Amino acid sequence: MEHFFPLNVLWIKERIFNALYAHTAYMKEKRENPGDLLQGTLDLLILKALARGSMHGYGVAEWIHQTSEDILKVEEGALYPALHRLELRGLLCAEWGTSDNNRRAKFYSLTTSGKKQLAQKTEFWRRMSGAVARLLQTA
Amino acid sequence: MLSEWLNKTWLRLKAICKRPQLDRDLEDEVTFHLAMREEKNRLAGNDTEESRYAARRQFGNTTAIQEKNREMWSFTSLEGIFQDIRFALRMLRKNSGFAAVAVLTLALGIGANTAIFSVINGILLNPLPYKDPERIVAMRPNDSPPNLVDIQRETRSFSQGGGINVNNMDYTSGTEPMQVRGGYVNAGFLETLGVPPMLGRIISPEEDVKGGPRFVVLSYPFWQNFLNSDPQVLGKTIALSGNDYTVIGVMPANFVPPREHADVFVSLSAAYPDEASERDLHFMHTYWRLNAGVTLAQARAEMSTMDHRLAQLYPDSETDRRTVFLPLQESVTGSVRPALLVLFGAVGFVLLIACANFAGLLMARAIARRQELVIRTALGAGKSRLIRQALTESVLLAVVGGGAGLLLARLGISLLLSLKPAALDRFNSIHLDAHVLFFVFGISLLTGVVFGIAPAWSLTNLNSAESLKDGARGSTSGQSGNLLRKLLVTAEFAIALVLLVGAGLLIKGFSRLRSVSPGFNPRHVMTMHLQLPEARYAKIPRQTQFRVQALERINALPRVEAAMVMDLPLSPNYVDPRVVVDGGPPVAVGAEPRAQTNSVMGDYFHVMQIPIRAGREFTPMDREGQPLVAIVNEEFVKERLPHRNPIGARIDWARAPEPQRWMTIVGVAADVKDSSLDEPADPAVYTPFSQSEQVWRRWMTLVLRTSGPVPGLVDEVKKQVWSVDSQIPVSDILSMEDIMAVSLAQQRFNMLLLALFAALALILAAVGIYGLMAYSVSQRTHEIGVRLAIGAQRRDVLRLVLREGAKLTLLGIAIGIIAALSLTHLMASLLFEVTPTDPETFAAVAVLLAAVALVACYIPACRATRVDPMVALRYE
Repeated sequence: MEHFFPLNVLWIKERIFNALYAHTAYMKEKRENPGDLLQGTLDLLILKALARGSMHGYGVAEWIHQTSEDILKVEEGALYPALHRLELRGLLCAEWGTSDNNRRAKFYSLTTSGKKQLAQKTEFWRRMSGAVARLLQTA
Repeated sequence: MLSEWLNKTWLRLKAICKRPQLDRDLEDEVTFHLAMREEKNRLAGNDTEESRYAARRQFGNTTAIQEKNREMWSFTSLEGIFQDIRFALRMLRKNSGFAAVAVLTLALGIGANTAIFSVINGILLNPLPYKDPERIVAMRPNDSPPNLVDIQRETRSFSQGGGINVNNMDYTSGTEPMQVRGGYVNAGFLETLGVPPMLGRIISPEEDVKGGPRFVVLSYPFWQNFLNSDPQVLGKTIALSGNDYTVIGVMPANFVPPREHADVFVSLSAAYPDEASERDLHFMHTYWRLNAGVTLAQARAEMSTMDHRLAQLYPDSETDRRTVFLPLQESVTGSVRPALLVLFGAVGFVLLIACANFAGLLMARAIARRQELVIRTALGAGKSRLIRQALTESVLLAVVGGGAGLLLARLGISLLLSLKPAALDRFNSIHLDAHVLFFVFGISLLTGVVFGIAPAWSLTNLNSAESLKDGARGSTSGQSGNLLRKLLVTAEFAIALVLLVGAGLLIKGFSRLRSVSPGFNPRHVMTMHLQLPEARYAKIPRQTQFRVQALERINALPRVEAAMVMDLPLSPNYVDPRVVVDGGPPVAVGAEPRAQTNSVMGDYFHVMQIPIRAGREFTPMDREGQPLVAIVNEEFVKERLPHRNPIGARIDWARAPEPQRWMTIVGVAADVKDSSLDEPADPAVYTPFSQSEQVWRRWMTLVLRTSGPVPGLVDEVKKQVWSVDSQIPVSDILSMEDIMAVSLAQQRFNMLLLALFAALALILAAVGIYGLMAYSVSQRTHEIGVRLAIGAQRRDVLRLVLREGAKLTLLGIAIGIIAALSLTHLMASLLFEVTPTDPETFAAVAVLLAAVALVACYIPACRATRVDPMVALRYE
């Protein structure tokens, strides 16, 4: 039956099914892991990741996976809107360059205000988590 | 903060310039990530295919994320709106049938609403053209000039007050004698309304006294039409009712007295010094301006004390005072107000039905577009984005519908104005103004959003994969959407029933009213109003001489029988004096019952064909110097002379000057409707013109009965009148049938409009149920095919579809009956001899509605029976 259709229709159909597959998987994942990262937390993690120097999006994702020992599960796709948002806010600057394996990739690095923001946020989190920890210790 | 915003805007602007570059970058970034992840997965030992899908799974919906990024980099909200509008326009063009039906439905609803709203706006909402009109109150009932002075002096609530009585005057300074409307006012009247004259000044309190100068203030139309807008008019004299009046002022163009139109304003005390000082002549419409900070309730309270005081001081005439105040607007619009509000409620219902249809259409479309939307969601369209798109479409439709409605409203308004009853005559401000446009715009937007949101929302509650499969199988999809549509159609029927009941009640009342006998035969009766000038007809014998001569000459015309009467039936007058009966039960002074009085000359009862129940008619012998006689009506006999032979009984005006001049009743005439057809006849007394004592009643109406249409009759009669006296204005030339039509105009107006709206509601509801059933049949083609294939008869299919429609209809009718029972009492004041819960009307309307619904369902049901099982099974 399918050979009656012109090629581009088949191509569209494949795209749709790919997209649909990804979408349902995404929805399923979302349902199973309701604990999305807090908005502000993701921003902080990105800033922290980039504190060591410029990095591409994939690198940031990997760093978060590894350093948090996979406890903090970042939806990888969600990383990009966050990166772009930070770039638009002037906390990051971006540059196209070549990756280790010679691919074209976008590298992000902290700006001055990005560094300032990181320091502020880190301080805030430290105080916050300290307070929460103390609260939990008092039996 | 600012620098951050500037930076953001700058980056976005840059991005706009390199749009394709940006798109490629976004795509590249994601591709890079996926590639890296895939490679890593492969290194971990998965096969190629599996690692690719895993990478995608971990990443999430790529398109959605790219879309999100793109939105961040551009001014999406703005661009998006234009995009949505463009897209919506394209979709509507493609589905022009759907668009046309939706727009037409809304246009009808919005158009009808706009037309009625502009009438309401012009009449009930627009402030009257006076200074601070909200502080002016109208007093009911009418009062006499001396009371007016007392109230003004002794109360604290009012800063000003004044009265007017409009009466005919003849204007003889022009080319031919003309009858004009003279406003007899006191000095306070124009001052209270607070409109300054355009030229000159108004009458001052010093001039408004007995023996004061004869000054006149002109209305703008009079100045324009009779004096050619003469700018030098001040100080000139004009002849009114045989007296010379000096012009001292001209009112501006937009000035009209609150109740009645008047051409000229003269001081009552100067024109009629004697009547102006009579305390018991309550003939002035009075208006009062409240002092700052005084409420209507306070004024009412003070007035009731005042009423009490006046009653004690003047028990003869003021005992039963019950003065009330009404806000000016309410007093002016009094009789039309309830009708307009009922009509507004009715068009509101029509709009609701139209909206329900509109929502139903959108719903059907939403269900039809389900697959498309699932695909768009899958491809990364966000929920809010989809809702926005659907809303854009419905708002666009609603706005186009509103625009078309505006055109319909323009037509509707001219129709309304051509039908409008005389009570609305003074309102020439009915047109589409900014208020109305704002109303239409608001109502369209609201319709689009409120009735678009449910269908739009239902679009997004989709489980994509399920829906795709569902759609592919072509089963009876969209249960929830159909339920909503069914609810809408049920509601439509309920509302349509309420409207139809309202219209049915009015129609029934109107037909009752039309069959009410006025008490005379209006066929082939012509009437004309005559007014004798004051100066030359100051005495009764002189007036009688004119009347006798004129009647003689007119009666000499072939095929004409003529008589004269002071006030025609169905044209209410305010003079209803108190009457005492000789030998009747004693009545307290000042509480004698009133009776309508009328003077006649010639064979009035014969000409009008009013039956004489007992005794005789007047004869030419009943004239000045002869024993005083009177004819009373049956109502008078019933109320005042029960169990007595009325013939020979004697009556007189209450508190007439001594010695008593008793009038002997010589005949009893049948009751005639004197004020309006929907009110019972009042007790009435007829006397011969020639025995009248009231010189000031110098007007009369000629009634002419012909055996059929007589061409040139009016001119011939005028010629005869002018052959007696060439200075007599002849006006208000109307057939008696016209007068009856005028007296029914308000009811006819109400009935026609409500019937129109009910018809509209019926059509819309029928379209609604037809649309639903047709859609449901087309959705169930497959199912019906299966049923037919396994042996169902055509009849069964017909019954299946009809049963579904009947359920909705009957439910709607039941709800509608309950709603109507609780709503129709609101229109009780508009009904004549019909109870608001008239079972006949309810039953007839329910049957009509059911029949229409049956027809509307029958068409799709028939189509369902013609389904070919073979085709149906292959359907989709």
